[in-house]
Amino acid sequence: MGAQSLKPATKTPPPFTGLRVIELAEDPAGEYAGRLLAEMGAEVLKLEPVDGAPSRKVGPWAGGVAGPETSLNFRYYNSNKRSVLLEVTAPGGVAALKSLTANADVFITTLQPAALKAIGLDLAVLHAEQPSLIILSVTAFGLTGPWADYKSSDLIALAAGGPLNSCGYDDHSIPPIRPGGNQGYHTAASFAHIGAMLALLNRQQTGEGQLVDVSMHEACAVNIELANPYWFYPRINVQRQTCRHAQPSPTQSALFRSADDRFVYFALILSDPRAWAALVKWMDGKGMAADLVEPAYNDLAYRQAHFYEIQSLVECFFLIQTAHEAYHDGQAAGLPIGVLNAPEDLFEDEHLLARGFFKEVEEADGSSALYPGPSYVFSAFDAVPRTRAPKLGEHQVAELAR
Amino acid sequence: MGRAREGITLLVTTAEATRSKPPEADSGAYPDPLRRPGPRRGPLSGVRIADFCWMGVGACATRLLGDFGATVIRIENRANLDMPRRLPIYKGEVRTYGDEDANPDPNKGGLFNNYNRNKLGVTLNMRDPRGRELADRLIASSSVLTENFAPGVMERWGLTYERVRELSPAVIYARMSGFGHTGPHAENKSYGPVVQAVSGLSHISGLPGEEPSGWGLSYMDNEAAFFNAAALMMAIYNRNLTGLGSEIDVSAVEAGINLLGPLLLDVSVNGRSTRGPEFPPGNRLEEPHAAPHGVYPCVGEDRWIAIAVFDEVEWRALVAAMGNPAWASEARFATLAARVANQDALDAKMAAWTADKDRFVLMHGLQAVGVRAGAVQTAEDLNETDPQIAERGVYFEMDHPVIGEARFEGTPIQFSSIPQENWRSAPLLAEDNAYVFKTLLGMGDEEFETLTAEGVL
Repeated sequence: MGAQSLKPATKTPPPFTGLRVIELAEDPAGEYAGRLLAEMGAEVLKLEPVDGAPSRKVGPWAGGVAGPETSLNFRYYNSNKRSVLLEVTAPGGVAALKSLTANADVFITTLQPAALKAIGLDLAVLHAEQPSLIILSVTAFGLTGPWADYKSSDLIALAAGGPLNSCGYDDHSIPPIRPGGNQGYHTAASFAHIGAMLALLNRQQTGEGQLVDVSMHEACAVNIELANPYWFYPRINVQRQTCRHAQPSPTQSALFRSADDRFVYFALILSDPRAWAALVKWMDGKGMAADLVEPAYNDLAYRQAHFYEIQSLVECFFLIQTAHEAYHDGQAAGLPIGVLNAPEDLFEDEHLLARGFFKEVEEADGSSALYPGPSYVFSAFDAVPRTRAPKLGEHQVAELAR
Repeated sequence: MGRAREGITLLVTTAEATRSKPPEADSGAYPDPLRRPGPRRGPLSGVRIADFCWMGVGACATRLLGDFGATVIRIENRANLDMPRRLPIYKGEVRTYGDEDANPDPNKGGLFNNYNRNKLGVTLNMRDPRGRELADRLIASSSVLTENFAPGVMERWGLTYERVRELSPAVIYARMSGFGHTGPHAENKSYGPVVQAVSGLSHISGLPGEEPSGWGLSYMDNEAAFFNAAALMMAIYNRNLTGLGSEIDVSAVEAGINLLGPLLLDVSVNGRSTRGPEFPPGNRLEEPHAAPHGVYPCVGEDRWIAIAVFDEVEWRALVAAMGNPAWASEARFATLAARVANQDALDAKMAAWTADKDRFVLMHGLQAVGVRAGAVQTAEDLNETDPQIAERGVYFEMDHPVIGEARFEGTPIQFSSIPQENWRSAPLLAEDNAYVFKTLLGMGDEEFETLTAEGVL
């Protein structure tokens, strides 16, 4: 069962083997898109100014020491890429860029319209000049429209695009709170990957390239889950709640504190008789069900009428066990319960260890570090092994010799 | 130059190549001729998907393929309706997610319509051997099989990858699950919030020293769907090149860990702990340094603006936009490092300045002078007043026989020549039974009537 257990005698190379990608990316959306192509075999040539891509100037830093070769931000988004120095803003820069894209399959750019105009790069002209090239533009607001040159960031994207309105605390005197980890940029990267795939499939059919215009703003606007259908149909805005779904009206807390002062996520849904029976059985097994075993509780209306007592008992129940006990025992009882892992917990997670998820990567200084493994597992091919991000200009000589 | 450039022959299974003529004989099955399936256009035209997906993740993944030309045949169970068909997200009726309609009209649910446009819908009773036999025939006539059940369900129906390959030799079999199909927690039950918790995405979101605020949506249902859609397309692309199919195992938790970002390397390389009173940073950024960087109140109830200042040029523009207040020239705000060190005081000043202003006037005024600012927009704002979205048209409308005119969230990508073909709103329950079983699979009228009467279809 499962793709990992199925190892055909021969696998094909990963699907992007032989594809050449030129990446001119100044933010994590474009860089992560390039990384997703590199993961499946594309040769991604990252163009950097002589003082390095902007992402090299962003921490955290390996060993806490800032420098162009120690940015963990750069390493995360740029592993498996090649680095070449090219000043696109200098005279002849665009011509040099075009000579590179002429021999490439995909060109990734994050420049907004005003920046493109400033360096004299017109993507429509490039598309006409190099019709088999896939131009993957990933920008804050897209290449057209009244906000096309508005400046953004991860926080701005999540705010204007909608996800932020659903995230924060029950207490609305506290502003909406940004979920961590560059998710506005990552959402744009997900759609950049999808856009690249559709363009590559289209090129297989027609031989033609494509100008692909991905908007981070719109990517966020279609990534707000229930908030959209709640507006499309009953025409109501959802209200944010602490670590659980924003809803038209308040619902009970789903975050429970454990004996070891950690948290588990568990949505108590009274209307599901199977989940109710599983919960009571689990609590009873630890002597914590109290009167919930009484037959009266088999009636949904009775459960709803005694909701606050039930919630209090469940709160106490989680307080007597560790978060991991609650997670594993609750899952064994058949309940969809999750422990709130911290990133450091993941490296010890028995499931991830058994799947061999984290991969060791050797860095340029000879040290090694664990990186997350492939985002997907295929029986037909493997992702390329994750290798370190390039040093600044590391592939200059080799590329000039091509 | 890529392999793709050299002569490609598109791999189309025999069943697809000999796809039946338009369903003239079944026109009676579609009271509205506009709902009758026709030939599809787009980069995935010619790909037929036997789609067992349900709920959010799976349906959202196959929606993307249906939008761009694949023939997606949703296989549903009348006895266990898809949750989005049951959830009471209705026009003109406000209910909260958990507030289930005891006797829902399966064709009225807005969430189902949202996730299942541009797909066909059939019903099959997999408890009946004849239902399973029909599923086999459907799979044999398709080149892609998708599912997001709990691990083991497809196996109980005999639908292992080995068996499915016998039915459709170059099949792509996409398994979408919370934890992946191997490993000790493969059987764990999950949905978006559980995936967000286990992958670490919830823990890293919130105010320092407070309980996590995490996520107010199933972000990982959507993101896992995007990963799954991309994985399906990569496998199809590879099959077009090599003729070989694939099984795909996507673990939503592993996708979520990949989305943690560079913080994960701070932990693995530097041994940094993310527990303690300093983390998470709320709306502030640890890296790169930025200040002010926050969400500030505006005029109106629960109205906010996000402002992010990364360097001195942006700071000077902000100060000018604020009218050069005296406090802004104090030494404690003079440099980025000083502003970062004094963010509590800075945020209080910012909030006092924004509080009596309209969030949109402020946003446009700040953007006009090069300051990164964005109103916190609701779904209503995005749909009704956002001029950027209105001009680019990411939302669109289609009619639905029961719901009426409905709005849909489109694809946030504009292509120079690839069409998104929005040919139909979501299928009514069993709407395409006659077309799929009679026209595509060649079932006779009598058998179709019998199987329908006996509850197999």
